[in-house]
Amino acid sequence: MNCEKCQNLISVYIDGDLEAQESQAMQTHFSVCAECAKLHEDFASILGFCDKTFTEDSIPPNPQALWCRINNIIESETDAELATEEKKQEEVKRNLFSRIWNSKLQFYPSQIVSSFIGIALISSLLTVVGIKNFSAPNGDQAVTAEPTFLEKGLAKIGVIETPQQIFEHKLKQRRAAINYWKKRVETRRTFWNSQMREAFDRNLNVIDKSVSEYTEILQEDPQDSISSEMLDSALNEKMELLREFSEL
Amino acid sequence: MMSFESKNLFSFPVNKKATILLLSVVFFFASNAHDVFAQKRFSKSYPAGENIRLQLMNRSGTITVEGWNKKQVQISASLEKPVAQIIPRYLNGTILINVIQDNKGSEIGDTNFDIKVPYYSSIDIETGIGNLNVSNVQGGLVRAHITTEGDIRLINIGASSVSAENIIGDIFYDGFIQEGGIYSFRSMRGNISMRIPFQSSFRLVATAPSTRNISLGSFASAGMSLVGNGRRVVGKVGSGNASLTVTNHRGNISFIRR
Repeated sequence: MNCEKCQNLISVYIDGDLEAQESQAMQTHFSVCAECAKLHEDFASILGFCDKTFTEDSIPPNPQALWCRINNIIESETDAELATEEKKQEEVKRNLFSRIWNSKLQFYPSQIVSSFIGIALISSLLTVVGIKNFSAPNGDQAVTAEPTFLEKGLAKIGVIETPQQIFEHKLKQRRAAINYWKKRVETRRTFWNSQMREAFDRNLNVIDKSVSEYTEILQEDPQDSISSEMLDSALNEKMELLREFSEL
Repeated sequence: MMSFESKNLFSFPVNKKATILLLSVVFFFASNAHDVFAQKRFSKSYPAGENIRLQLMNRSGTITVEGWNKKQVQISASLEKPVAQIIPRYLNGTILINVIQDNKGSEIGDTNFDIKVPYYSSIDIETGIGNLNVSNVQGGLVRAHITTEGDIRLINIGASSVSAENIIGDIFYDGFIQEGGIYSFRSMRGNISMRIPFQSSFRLVATAPSTRNISLGSFASAGMSLVGNGRRVVGKVGSGNASLTVTNHRGNISFIRR
């Protein structure tokens, strides 16, 4: 066996995979060639070390215990971070409070007076709005009087609705309801007898006459409370008539 | 002679035929007329306590309710063709008849009710078209509502809550105004007449925007004031315990001393 062939087969020889004859030839060569014998020794020692390291470190002795240890380490680190964060926030708060506490608040008399006026104005506005909202559900209340300057102002900025606006809103709702019932009546009308149809038309006509009269008056004088009330009442009658006939 | 005989012989069978034809026509019309004008009758009685409540919703026809001195409710009705179904229900002291609900979707003729109730009954009646008459009722409530047209007559009423409404037709109230009671009368077109005792005590809001004809009669006093160019009268009579609201959109309002 020459050196080249011997060096090529060293690792196979160390693994013990060579045939007996070749293995014998290798051993004979090592005894006569110092260089190859040294190479064989080096290879053998490297592989031996690797085997030892792998078996000791790659499999943990108790994987569950190891995981617990890792988890504890993570938790302790997270807690430490949180504690630091809280400490920082606490410090910021303490600094802010101490800054405010230690600072000298200086107000001029004019500032105090204007802040009092501001608070009084806001609270009175809120009271007005509250009263308005409280009295608004009373649907029978019609347009009664000219809105005050304050009411006009609040209505302009959309804080409250004037009686006029409330009334108009209500009328709009009534008209929407009337249109709904009108459509339903149209579908039912064919089932009525002639007497019923005539009576319905006659009565609807009487109501419509009144509605148009009141509407005309209100166009001339939107503050006419009696006409507003009567218009509301007539529209209510119309709605009731339509509703009841739609159920026949 | 010959001609006379032949005329007699010929004319007799013709007259006979004509008579038979005429009779059959008369019989045919008579039988049809019976069908057209036939009325079915309905009758039912209930034993009742004094404070019974009657609630009746009719589609068309007259309703007459009368108080009597018996602890019994007697319901009679004459039904025109096509005949309506009447199913009275008696629940917790209330007799309920809802002709509209019980005949929904089917064409029915007029149903005219004649009902007798104990004096202290409460009455809540309404009809689509037709007159409503209530008399001699002293219970807590009388409500008479006509969806379209018909007259309302409330005679000798002692209820503390009375309401009458119609669109076209007259309303006549002849009764008492109880202390703290609420009375409301509303019509679109017709006359509203109130006959009440002179000693009555109430707050009045009477509105007749179209005719502006509000006649207070004996109840006119300094406590009354005209509002809206005479379209409304507002005021107090006596201590003003009861509330009386009368609205007639296109008719007159008048008060008469009882």
